[in-house]
Amino acid sequence: MAVSVFGELLITAGLVLGLFVVYSLWWTNVVADREAHKQGDKVRDGWAQDKGGPGALDTKAGIGFLHVPSMKNGEVLVEKGTSTKVLNDGVAGYYTDPVKSSLPMTGKDGNFTLAAHRDGHGAKFHNIDKVRKGDAIVFETKDKWYVYKAYAILPETSKFNVKVLQSVPQQSGKKKPGQYITLTTCTPVYTSRYRYVVWGELERVEKVDSDRTPPKELR
Amino acid sequence: MVRVATPVPWCDGRDGMYGWIWRHLPGNVWVRALISLVLVLAMVYVLFQYVFPWAEPLLPFNDVTVDNQ
Repeated sequence: MAVSVFGELLITAGLVLGLFVVYSLWWTNVVADREAHKQGDKVRDGWAQDKGGPGALDTKAGIGFLHVPSMKNGEVLVEKGTSTKVLNDGVAGYYTDPVKSSLPMTGKDGNFTLAAHRDGHGAKFHNIDKVRKGDAIVFETKDKWYVYKAYAILPETSKFNVKVLQSVPQQSGKKKPGQYITLTTCTPVYTSRYRYVVWGELERVEKVDSDRTPPKELR
Repeated sequence: MVRVATPVPWCDGRDGMYGWIWRHLPGNVWVRALISLVLVLAMVYVLFQYVFPWAEPLLPFNDVTVDNQ
């Protein structure tokens, strides 16, 4: 009897671990995509409603959408903060800690630093390793398209390396202030041992027209 | 080993905790099978809804940010 119970417990533990994998790699994506969709729609509705008015920046709902054609994942909503709670909704978050991200809308020099999940919870940066130097990283706000170009990639770094978030990311080879964007996520896939970093620099800003015609990089 | 009247169909004679549960479920084989299925689904629900979300942040699979800690 005791041996049977022990054996059954082992089998059960195995099944539970298997279920955990299913949960991590599938179910969290289902939940997160649903949530991201809902919040993204809310942001777009908000944009559509107050056309032309002096846009008070509502950072709570999400500030815009990130489009990285080489990641082939459509648009990613960007919200404030990189806490688990924010990122688990299948969005990208901009850093408020340990180094505060600058925002492209201010038009000032600085580093727009973002994080998102590699696997599970929407896995928005799953294909970050497909981004090559020269690829476009486009950030869409209510009335501007910010077109960045990836110029440096760090395929593996320590998770304590907060220097990658500096407003002038010296590790990417830059010395002068400019408008940069930094994408961070975990690597290798399915683990969080290291961090993967992609840096981009602002190339140009386009005004959003009445049809929201995307810049040529997204067409 | 005690031979039980209605053992788990596929393991005649042996008994474990699932055998014990099976024997304590009411009804005939079909009713028991149905109840078992409901129990299994309930377990999966509890795991997905409560246990895994709780356990996940404790496991080192999904930290994506760089930080000082």
